[in-house]
Amino acid sequence: MRGFWPILKREVFTFFVTPLAWVLICVFLLVQGMHFYLLVDHFSNQAEVISDQTPLQAFFGNTVLLYLVLFLLVPPITMRLFAEERRSGTVETLLTAPVSPAAVVLAKYVSALVTYVSMWAPTVLYLVILNRTGPIDWHVASAAYLGVFCVGAGYLSLGLLMSALTKSQFLALILTAMCIMGLFILGVGEFVTHEGQTLHDVCAHVSVWAHMNDFGSGIIDSRRLVFYGSIVALSLFCTTRVVDSWRWGDA
Amino acid sequence: MISVRNLVKHYGSHVAVDDLSFEVEKGSVVGFLGPNGAGKSTTLRILSGFLGRTAGEVTIDGHQVDTYDAKRATGYMPEAVPLYPEMRVVEYLRFRAELKEVPRKDRRPFVDLAMERARVTDVATRTIGDLSKGYRQRVGLADALVAKPPLLILDEPTAGLDPNQMREVRDVIKGLGKEHTVLLSTHILSEVEASCDEVVVINKGKLVARGTKEEIQKKRRSAGLSFVVRGDKATCVRVLTQSGSFGKITTTPDAQDPALLNAEARWKKGLAEPGLATEAAVAALLGAGLFVRSVTVEKSTLEDVFAELTRAAVPTSADAVEPEQEDE
Repeated sequence: MRGFWPILKREVFTFFVTPLAWVLICVFLLVQGMHFYLLVDHFSNQAEVISDQTPLQAFFGNTVLLYLVLFLLVPPITMRLFAEERRSGTVETLLTAPVSPAAVVLAKYVSALVTYVSMWAPTVLYLVILNRTGPIDWHVASAAYLGVFCVGAGYLSLGLLMSALTKSQFLALILTAMCIMGLFILGVGEFVTHEGQTLHDVCAHVSVWAHMNDFGSGIIDSRRLVFYGSIVALSLFCTTRVVDSWRWGDA
Repeated sequence: MISVRNLVKHYGSHVAVDDLSFEVEKGSVVGFLGPNGAGKSTTLRILSGFLGRTAGEVTIDGHQVDTYDAKRATGYMPEAVPLYPEMRVVEYLRFRAELKEVPRKDRRPFVDLAMERARVTDVATRTIGDLSKGYRQRVGLADALVAKPPLLILDEPTAGLDPNQMREVRDVIKGLGKEHTVLLSTHILSEVEASCDEVVVINKGKLVARGTKEEIQKKRRSAGLSFVVRGDKATCVRVLTQSGSFGKITTTPDAQDPALLNAEARWKKGLAEPGLATEAAVAALLGAGLFVRSVTVEKSTLEDVFAELTRAAVPTSADAVEPEQEDE
């Protein structure tokens, strides 16, 4: 794991000294703020609580806004990571330093994860605000955040792989968005296929909607953890192999 | 310091490096010379551990290439000098020092020293993206130096610089030779003359020649003379041919003044004393009643040197550039 720390520090540094980070954070918090406002407004206008879900559940996954935000947020975080290094040639100085490809991949991945988490961090304030009007089940909230983290971790690892596959940031962005969309649409397939079919089971298994509903209700299902863990492990492994392969071709 | 044995590199069906072998001694400054596309960058990238090789043995300071130890022993500056534009110079160098495992307490002094030696101290707090090409080149050099590696590999360190910047970078490199072994690539002969002790010449991925700077310089001494003469063309050609020192002679009428004649004469192969031959040729022209406006010594180009070096299988005069290997 030689070179892990300095690369991680530099990646996080780079993200926050470029305008991209602040634009992303602004957009993200704006959308989330609006999301929160709409939910609070909706629930406060109900004369009596007839809903079978809490604002918390709604916030984490029962409106399409959460997924929209994920589609918008993840590809721009990861698009730069390898594509830019290859386009500008800095990958040559990076890989000729005494570092291992695995450390480079992991450092870049963790930096994306750190960025992602730091974007979500301010949303805890919403829960603090909610807590002033009524009790919050912090266990459920934690599970929901674990869900957000898992889904993000999976998507970011896919984004990292896409970024390693191309020299163009834009192409990396598009490819990542397509992958995430693809997974989402496959998940939606759960609702259009019939129960009992293999396809239905597959769709239900990858459905991010179902995953977030579980997490948002405070259910931590080990299948979900294994699913996202596998995505992360597979993507990172593939990325390492891709980085290794640059030695044999035109990087 | 560097030992390359039978190195081969293929890009698909294209052979970039073809059975190349050479050694670089500790403490020398070696110029890696060749025309564009000769395989210089490919070889240096293999030495730096960035590219894999198809076949052959490469060791750096006794370590197999592409290992941690080999990479730690090497400071590599790629041809395009890629840098992170959003970082400040000092931030970048601290990052590189940490990446190259300079211990924490040494980092500040190492970075300061590298900046001083590459002469970038005055832009330490500037953002790299705002720097001129010359400064960027030297920041790249500072990066190669920062961990004080015993070996420096510099790929065309003066490419794209103006003459002043070139001289500055060459001066810096000359100073480095005292503490580091330096291997630098170039396609400019005068650059080798300015900064190297030894030369390795390659062409089309094969070793063409290697020798000391003096041996290569001898080859370059002079390729021929060019005269501006007033008088009869036929006489001029006859006199020059009779002098016996020249091979090919070409004459063209001067564009501005029809009375003048431009004559270009190449030395015969293996001519021992071009200085004396020049004197004799001028005397002969004057003796034949021609007026000589100017005599210019034509320095040979890299291509001429290559032509001469590849012919060197036939030993000529006192020149001792040994062809280590011929085309098979």
